[in-house]
Amino acid sequence: MKVRVEKLAFAYEDFRLEVGELIFPDARVTSVVGPNGAGKSTFLKCLASVLPAPPRTIFVDGRDLAALRGRERARLVAYVPQEASFTFNYAVLDFILTGRAAFLPTFGAPTSLDVALAEEALCYVGLDGQLRRSFFELSSGERRLVLIARALAQGSDVLLLDEPTSFLDPRHEVETMALCRRLADEKGKTIIVTLHNLEMAVRYSDGMVFMKNGRVVASGPPRQTLSEPLLRSVYDMEMRIVECAGWVFFAK
Amino acid sequence: MGAGPSRPDSPPVAVTDSLGRHVQIPARVGRVLSLEPEVTRIIVALGAGDRLVGIDFFLRHQDRLFPMLFPASRALPVVSNQGQDLNFELAISLRPDVVFASPSEPAAADAIARRLRTPVAALASVGRFRSLLEEMATIGRVLGRQERAAWLAAHFRDRLSGLAAALGPVRDADAPRVYLSFWGSLLRTPVAYEPVDAARGTNCAAGLLPSYLGTAGATVPIETIIRWDPEVILVQGNYPPGERRVTVESVLGDPRLASVRAVRTGRVHYTFGFWYWWDPALVLVETLYLARLFYPERFPGFDLEAEGNAAYKEFYGVEGAFSALDKVLGCHDWLRK
Amino acid sequence: MTGSASKTRAWLTWAALALPVVLLVLSLNLGSYPIPLKAVWTTLTHAPATGPGAAPTPYADILFRVRLPRLLLALFAGAALAVSGASLQALFQNPLVFEFSLGISYGAAFGAALSLVFLGRAFPPQLAAFAMAVLAVLLVVLIAGRSASGIVPVLLSGIIVSALFQALLSLVEFVANPYALQALIFWLMGSLSQAAWGDLAVTLPVIGLGVLILILLRWRMNVLSLGDDEARALGVNVRREKALVIAVATLVTAAATSVTGVINWVGLIVPHLVRMAVGADNRKVLPLSAAFGASLLIVADDIARSAASFEIPIGILTSVVGIPFFIVLLKRSGRVWR
Repeated sequence: MKVRVEKLAFAYEDFRLEVGELIFPDARVTSVVGPNGAGKSTFLKCLASVLPAPPRTIFVDGRDLAALRGRERARLVAYVPQEASFTFNYAVLDFILTGRAAFLPTFGAPTSLDVALAEEALCYVGLDGQLRRSFFELSSGERRLVLIARALAQGSDVLLLDEPTSFLDPRHEVETMALCRRLADEKGKTIIVTLHNLEMAVRYSDGMVFMKNGRVVASGPPRQTLSEPLLRSVYDMEMRIVECAGWVFFAK
Repeated sequence: MGAGPSRPDSPPVAVTDSLGRHVQIPARVGRVLSLEPEVTRIIVALGAGDRLVGIDFFLRHQDRLFPMLFPASRALPVVSNQGQDLNFELAISLRPDVVFASPSEPAAADAIARRLRTPVAALASVGRFRSLLEEMATIGRVLGRQERAAWLAAHFRDRLSGLAAALGPVRDADAPRVYLSFWGSLLRTPVAYEPVDAARGTNCAAGLLPSYLGTAGATVPIETIIRWDPEVILVQGNYPPGERRVTVESVLGDPRLASVRAVRTGRVHYTFGFWYWWDPALVLVETLYLARLFYPERFPGFDLEAEGNAAYKEFYGVEGAFSALDKVLGCHDWLRK
Repeated sequence: MTGSASKTRAWLTWAALALPVVLLVLSLNLGSYPIPLKAVWTTLTHAPATGPGAAPTPYADILFRVRLPRLLLALFAGAALAVSGASLQALFQNPLVFEFSLGISYGAAFGAALSLVFLGRAFPPQLAAFAMAVLAVLLVVLIAGRSASGIVPVLLSGIIVSALFQALLSLVEFVANPYALQALIFWLMGSLSQAAWGDLAVTLPVIGLGVLILILLRWRMNVLSLGDDEARALGVNVRREKALVIAVATLVTAAATSVTGVINWVGLIVPHLVRMAVGADNRKVLPLSAAFGASLLIVADDIARSAASFEIPIGILTSVVGIPFFIVLLKRSGRVWR
């Protein structure tokens, strides 16, 4: 499903987010990049309705997100936070099952169908067999995958991932981004990720959005949008774009 | 007015109080602070009320009768609240020569002595006549009113012996078993209440350990009351009827007690009970009243009001005090069954 | 998981849920009035035949009017305290939260005291208890502010609010006439001795309904325990559902407290023990907490009324067990919580 943003203006504490017109294409991976404090997370949270965006600014599949009830909205958009809150040591299966909340009534409990969907999601991210392990026992990479599995079990077409590669080692970084790629290509999901790692962004995204100071500075396919002057203005530092063996590197 | 007949260089009076503390009190006591209503009442009965410099919250604001017994009490400053929380600054400013405290708070007596640098004696009868009479004697010694104290004690003992003579020998098996419901709860009962014993009844709770040192009360499970199966149940009635939590009617109507003898035979009555311990005049009347309650055939001409007024006249020199109390408590009804 | 292991699990679960009922039946034999075992059985089974004025022995009175209501109160109150404790822990994402640390206990106690002292016995104290308990929770949430999911701010504001209501309670004690005061102090220490059918007629159904609602919401609490943001992203109407859980948990606690006085620590100990045994999934934690909370209070009350010739206030018993347990909990780096 296509995600369209139109004249989103959102003030949050001392910060002001302003996005004019932006389109996240269907079944594509779009990464949102920018320096710290650019507003990437804030933007994502608005898309996820974690922060209350004004009405008629965010449209998913043509429908105004703010006008939808929570249940319907969650069936369209899933949010993968950077860190899961893990006060209680749930089993992996139970954790993923919470993703089914949008499909269950207030007094309801998961059925065997929900369990099957949860198992399927876990298999897809490559953690089959880990159902009964407890959340605390997992490594941070595995936890990240479980969070994505939950979003998958949620059945939404739009997945928002906040810094999914942070604190991961290179191998897990690549695995996570490869998973995002597969979700878009194989399952047709619309993936929007915020990233710090420009190399990963260029390698795995179909489109990139550059943000700075709460505004979108540039957007479009990576190779067409990238330029050294752009990088200099966004990151306030000199960077050189180097291409080598099919990868694009940024020498600082 | 002034201190009693003791010479200025008399030795201090040695007193052992209810907590076993040994206290030295100066021979001349002109200013007295009493935090213990029972002690205050005794001081007034001994005719030394003019030496009181302060009074506790209860006697000033909640005891209906005391202002009638000692009208000057209305002018006395209130130094404590509900028996606790002595207003130390006020107490110090009143410069008492001695302080009488309650033994219910063992640590408080020492604390007061330390802060006021005044001798403190903790006295209470805790349900026993001997303690009451000793207490009267002690206070008499301290205030130089020994003769009056001795006279009142003798009067007290005489009435009790007269009662014993009128009762005659009573076998233990014939003495009615009595359960006392005090302190606003069906389940709280005093482990020692001598008026019952002197009236030849048996307190079911005698021998139980009190809840803590310095008090007379214990809490029993309701099954224990049923097991005791008392013949008479006495409900504390020294409160205005509107404030009573436990009443004769509520006991008679309590379905849990339906099998108890006292409830089945309707022998549930009010008695006076503790009201911040005792008033020596009232407890004497209560003993006579209970004897009449337990053995009505032996005291056919018993007139509660007359006896009450006589006792109060004897102790406090006030006419009609018991009748005034009766207006508040409605106790003239208690024998009408 | 193999078939036989899950069968054993199921059997154990049913046994755990039946435990309070079993304990109740066994506890009918305990009490300071000695009733032979056989007599208990005959009295229970021939209940309709035993009318008033029939047998001179008060067995029926004691069993049906003294012990049974008291045990039922223990069962319901124990379940209420444990389930509301577990629910609040999930909601506030904080396993150290229970009705005491949120000020509910003393709020309810203050409300009930207010009602008992000024409105008399005719007026059911549960209403005032509930009103004040809700006020206490609102104050805690207000004082803790936006960081209501952080452990320290919630505990701190809970302590502040508890202290506030304790002070107000002291004020009530101060102005109460000595008669009411005596009764109030005794009640405050926590006791099931006031269990009479009159009080229970209102309290038991309220508690039963509230506990049922909380148990029906048990899976939902898994979701709510993830935090407001995540729960909202998952499509849950966080404000409404949190308000519902808090209201019901407060209601059952207040209803129980208004009859029993303050009985602390059950809401903390029981859910934690259950989590240690079966994990954090609230689908299991809540019903088992109810069962074990009920069982715990029945056993504690058995001790309170049978151990000595006088009545030990049950609040003191649970404190004596609960406080060291709380200290141990604070020191451990938990297996089931961070």
